[in-house]
Amino acid sequence: MAPPPVTERQAKKRDRNAFVRTKVPIVERISAVVIVLLIAGIGIAIWMKGQRWDPNLYSLRTDALNSTSAAVQGKAGTLRTGSGAQPGEESVVKEPTVAQQSPAVKNAGEGEPASGEMSGEGGNEAAPAKTASSAPAAKNEPMEIAIPGIKPMGKTEFYNPDNLFEKIDGRAPAYIGFNFQALRSRSFSVDGADSSYVDVYEYRMDTPVNAFGMFALERDPNGKPIDFAPDGYSGEMGFFFRQGAYYVQIIASDQNAKTMTAAKAIAVDRAKSIPVDNAGLDARRRLPATGMIADSVTFVQDNAQGQAFLKSVFQAGYQYEGAKLQFFLMVTTPDEAAAAWTSYKTFSGKFGKVTDLPDVKGAKIFQAENFGKCKVIYQREGELGGIVDAQDAAKARKFVEEYLQGQIR
Amino acid sequence: MSTTPDNGENQGQEPENGIGRREFILRAGAAGALVAGSIIAGRKLWQPNHFIPGFEDQKGLQLPPYTFGASKLLPTMAIAHGPDHEKTVGAAIGALGGMSRFIEKGDIVMIKPNVAFDRPPALAATTHPDALRAVANLVFAAGAAKIIIADNPINSPTGCFLKSGLRQVANELNLDLLYPETNSFAPLQLTGEVLKNWTFFHEPFKKATKVIGLAPCKDHNLCHSSMTMKNWYGLLGGRRNQFHQHIHSIVSDFALMMKPTLVILDGMNVLMKNGPTGGRLSDVKPMGTIVAGTDMVAVDSYGYTHLLERDIAELTYIHKAHDRGLGNKNWKEAHYKEVQA
Repeated sequence: MAPPPVTERQAKKRDRNAFVRTKVPIVERISAVVIVLLIAGIGIAIWMKGQRWDPNLYSLRTDALNSTSAAVQGKAGTLRTGSGAQPGEESVVKEPTVAQQSPAVKNAGEGEPASGEMSGEGGNEAAPAKTASSAPAAKNEPMEIAIPGIKPMGKTEFYNPDNLFEKIDGRAPAYIGFNFQALRSRSFSVDGADSSYVDVYEYRMDTPVNAFGMFALERDPNGKPIDFAPDGYSGEMGFFFRQGAYYVQIIASDQNAKTMTAAKAIAVDRAKSIPVDNAGLDARRRLPATGMIADSVTFVQDNAQGQAFLKSVFQAGYQYEGAKLQFFLMVTTPDEAAAAWTSYKTFSGKFGKVTDLPDVKGAKIFQAENFGKCKVIYQREGELGGIVDAQDAAKARKFVEEYLQGQIR
Repeated sequence: MSTTPDNGENQGQEPENGIGRREFILRAGAAGALVAGSIIAGRKLWQPNHFIPGFEDQKGLQLPPYTFGASKLLPTMAIAHGPDHEKTVGAAIGALGGMSRFIEKGDIVMIKPNVAFDRPPALAATTHPDALRAVANLVFAAGAAKIIIADNPINSPTGCFLKSGLRQVANELNLDLLYPETNSFAPLQLTGEVLKNWTFFHEPFKKATKVIGLAPCKDHNLCHSSMTMKNWYGLLGGRRNQFHQHIHSIVSDFALMMKPTLVILDGMNVLMKNGPTGGRLSDVKPMGTIVAGTDMVAVDSYGYTHLLERDIAELTYIHKAHDRGLGNKNWKEAHYKEVQA
């Protein structure tokens, strides 16, 4: 007898039933529950462990990465070169000559298609702190100094922003605030001076401006000028200078004449080995030296005096005819300087009285009285500057006019 | 289509829509293997001997109080002024009643200097060797059997002790200089604001019966100043810079962590700026003062106002410690004595 024909509905029902298990054995059900509970338990355990973190257990040991650093050295693809600049950044690849390069730079540069240097030059001096280093990233090359009478006391030490605190502990944030990149440090004993030594610290920042910023922050107001580096001084126990994007400290263990002689020789050696790069520092160099209050130069990257158009401004305090004056200076393009001057004048006019003063050697000048204080602002050929927050308007005006006439240098 | 294998083995034993015995055994076996694998892997990952903060079955240690020599008659704080380290330290301790008030014959005394950096003594970033020498001589004269000096500089302890000049003093006076080794640390447990469980340089405290903190007075980039309370930071291990985010809280926690026998603040030459490292002699100001006492909050309060010459209102960790009852920031309320060496 032929089976009755199966309807489509019956076929669907039969197929569906085939995948439904209505009678699951109790052992299997228990197993399933146990597995689900285990998964939940593992999840809870992971969560609990995450709540009780032991930093020592998972702390990064940067020295463990040393073995991997060799693998990327010489690979241009790992460097941020001019072509690899971030959007919005302008850069010019500049290859220092071999004679200008430090020993570390010379070694690092071998075989590399580009030095990786980016500077604020190339028409973008107004934003120096946003550009990258004036020298290639420090490779872990030992600091070798070939000067008679000194011997290395140990190996060269290397630090980066992640482990700088290991060397200088609570001082590290100050350096990191100026975009610290790397520190190379080594100690040298001095022949003929019992127990004497000289410590060398080479802090590399991202730009010469930031290296100057850190240098200025720690500057000894009583330091004596040195002749081998323009931004530098000697103290009673050492030499300190800024060269390129480096802030170099040469610290002697004592004031013994032999130790200090060795310290100076090391400082000169270091200054010669680091490429000169003053990118972004043009405005600082134009600040007049006459009457400048020691240790008063500061750099403001953005929004100087609360004005968006005042960028990369250097300012310093001055003693002038018995008054304390605050002078600032910004170097940019002539168009930007003119536009910023007009904006400043307009802003000042909203909150007080503005007076146009006669031009001095082609410089446009205005004077403003705001909230009981006076400012005298000028602009000429890509330079904007002046006196702000002065109590004595006459002296502020006189100072600016004498500066523009070249009488204050 | 059925999930039941159509073989004679299962005929008459399985429900119409169930699974076969073989498949069940396979599935159960797989599940069992998974569970067993999880247990084995979990056991492998579990580190029963590792201190994991918060897992209550393994507690960290707490340091015992090392306080000694309490007196209602003698001062709790002494301020001595003078040009010479040894004499000024001697005058300060003498004003407290002498070292024998704090140290008994046979004591093993742990002196904790600040040797955080490999700086020369003249830069005042570390405990001065003359201060250590003066204190150690007084401790030995009081009858101590042994003096241990120890600190945990993050960077090269041997270099720091060498360049600071303290190793030379240790050799000269036969002090036990303990460098931090991997097995020198133990878990510390505390109910501090931020310091609760942390690895701690415990080795020097295994035998110590008295503890003296000997700290320089100096500027600090993050917490304004480093004095006797901040000095204990050097006993922490691990990546302790993580606490820099809560620097005032952790410094005040040290007043809870450590109850020393005595603290001595070396204000002979004070690092007034660019601390804690300094680097220039011009950062250092000769102040010719030694402050000793049993209340580190009071000692630091004096140091901040009279040696660093700053406004105590800004020194948050002092206020925290005071508010928690760990010391008295109003040092003038203490029984103090000021002397000239």
